[in-house]
Amino acid sequence: MFSFKLGLKNLTRQKRRNVITIMVIAFAFFGYLFMDSVMGGMEELSFSNIKNYDTGNIQVAYPEYWEDREKLPLENLIYLNQDIVDSIKNMDGVLGVSPELRFKANLNNGIDEVAVLGLGISPEQYNEVFATQNYIIEGSMFTPGESKAVIGVKLAELMDLKINDYITLLVRTKEDTFNTIDVEIAGLLNTPNPIINNGVVFVPLDIAQQALNVGDGVSLLALKTASGDEDKIAKVLMDSFNNKNLDLKAYSWRKSAESIIALSTAKKGGAATILSVVLLIGMIGIINNVILSALERTAEIGMMKALGMREWEIVFVFMVEATGIGILGGLVGCLIGFAGVGLMAKYGVDFSYMGLDMSEYGIPILDKIYGTWNYPAFSFLFILGVVVALLSSIVPAYWAAHKDPVKAIYHR
Amino acid sequence: MSLLELKKVKKIYQQGKIEVPALRGVDLIVEQGEFSTIFGPSGSGKTTLLNMIGCLDTPTEGEIRLNGNKISDLSRKALAMTRRFNIGFVFQSYNLIPVLTAYENVEFAIRLIDHTSELQIKEKVLKILAEVGLKGLENRRPNELSGGESQRVAIARALVKEPKLVLADEPTANLDSKNAADVVKIMVKMNKELGTTFIFSTHDPMVMEYAHRYINLKDGMISADERRG
Repeated sequence: MFSFKLGLKNLTRQKRRNVITIMVIAFAFFGYLFMDSVMGGMEELSFSNIKNYDTGNIQVAYPEYWEDREKLPLENLIYLNQDIVDSIKNMDGVLGVSPELRFKANLNNGIDEVAVLGLGISPEQYNEVFATQNYIIEGSMFTPGESKAVIGVKLAELMDLKINDYITLLVRTKEDTFNTIDVEIAGLLNTPNPIINNGVVFVPLDIAQQALNVGDGVSLLALKTASGDEDKIAKVLMDSFNNKNLDLKAYSWRKSAESIIALSTAKKGGAATILSVVLLIGMIGIINNVILSALERTAEIGMMKALGMREWEIVFVFMVEATGIGILGGLVGCLIGFAGVGLMAKYGVDFSYMGLDMSEYGIPILDKIYGTWNYPAFSFLFILGVVVALLSSIVPAYWAAHKDPVKAIYHR
Repeated sequence: MSLLELKKVKKIYQQGKIEVPALRGVDLIVEQGEFSTIFGPSGSGKTTLLNMIGCLDTPTEGEIRLNGNKISDLSRKALAMTRRFNIGFVFQSYNLIPVLTAYENVEFAIRLIDHTSELQIKEKVLKILAEVGLKGLENRRPNELSGGESQRVAIARALVKEPKLVLADEPTANLDSKNAADVVKIMVKMNKELGTTFIFSTHDPMVMEYAHRYINLKDGMISADERRG
């Protein structure tokens, strides 16, 4: 295959231009791989924040409550039956069960008022499911029966509150009458999940139940399970509820985080757009390279035609050269990408230092974001890049090969 | 049967609305083994005639036969195949591929038609390079060769596939007189040894001295056609 050899040798011509094209492709590849890694890290962290600080791995609730859960109703609550809780807790793969009473409240500091999510919890059980208590940066968690609350630092800053200050939560009871919960701030939280820091007030479950007049009712049970087993365990739970003629249903965290997952899906759409731009850059680079090479080598193309080379044989020479550039650009891009993703995965990046609050974009992240390794992206991008390089060279190469031999030979 | 036969060949170029006749009815017969030169002033149609004979271009009117086969109305693909197997070219500006060595430039031409063993190809290429006086320079790239050496590589490239006909368009125009004489001597030698038919165009009287046949072209027509020796 002499044409193949010639195509490869041609890679050594116009070194500067080839190197520029290779680097353009390489940086486009690097950009995509880096973005993909950051977005993967962002998704992983936001999902982990949802599971660890907001929903748990599985939530158990009545379907009627689940439908209306955004409105925080006090209807269709679960009335705690210790047998149910114990049977769930003893199930394989379930690591903790936390009953929660979620309610609407207005937090009043005596001067200002702000709408918040009230969360009645039983600290010991809550601790089995969520990592929130590890992020109490001042004070401590309350114990059951104490008229105390824990709030996020952001909320405290907003309402100018500190430890031991008293706050009033204005609530509506189950009967729709007004009531208040007067509590002392026992602790301040700063979790990686901005939703918790900005707008949640934790109070003891029994205090909340009493104030809302819901008896032993809870909105839902949040469960901690081994990560990845949610769907399997949810199915086992559903079967168990069916066997016991209970209307309860188990929902994986994915159901609770549909909006975040939708955002993540949209980001993947964005990634596809970035990928298209990356490939377009590669295509333009390759097309430009082939056209310039063909113009510079017009007399040479004429000579090839005089030797009796057929058009497809000349096209093949250019295609080998273009594919070589694609392969080199892809390899360099993957190498730089490997280094960039490696650094990102090891050291991460703190967007807050750049003045960016990701929660403003609906992403529940405050922590450093670490890159994730997406090995298939490397091979996929490399193969796609090479194929695009090969395909994008065909038209300009054919244009070159189709030149009139006389005009090509005597071209100056 | 003649190697080459041209009957009333005309070539008219269209420049906008103006028709420019380059050949006005050329009749020519070339026998196997001839060593002919086409000469004449600039614009007389020398290059156009060589392009027609070399299957690089087709006539507007008339008929061209190579080895008895009509080539004047072949398709592009068939013309390419005719060039590949039957015709060798030598150009004024050598047209060597700069990334290939002298050996590879010659190998390139034979690889298109010869699919015999690596060893046989190597033997053929080295032999023809030695014939044109380039023994020892096989691994040099065109930028490491003089003009005369480059043109010898081009001659070797044209001859390696043992074509019936070699066409050379002003092959010595870019060379000094010594190199020009050397190149023409090589062509004469190959003509004698291999029996290859050569047709070349030139302005150089010294180069013309070596030809056996002189075809004078004037205003697109043959004004004189003489044989010597």
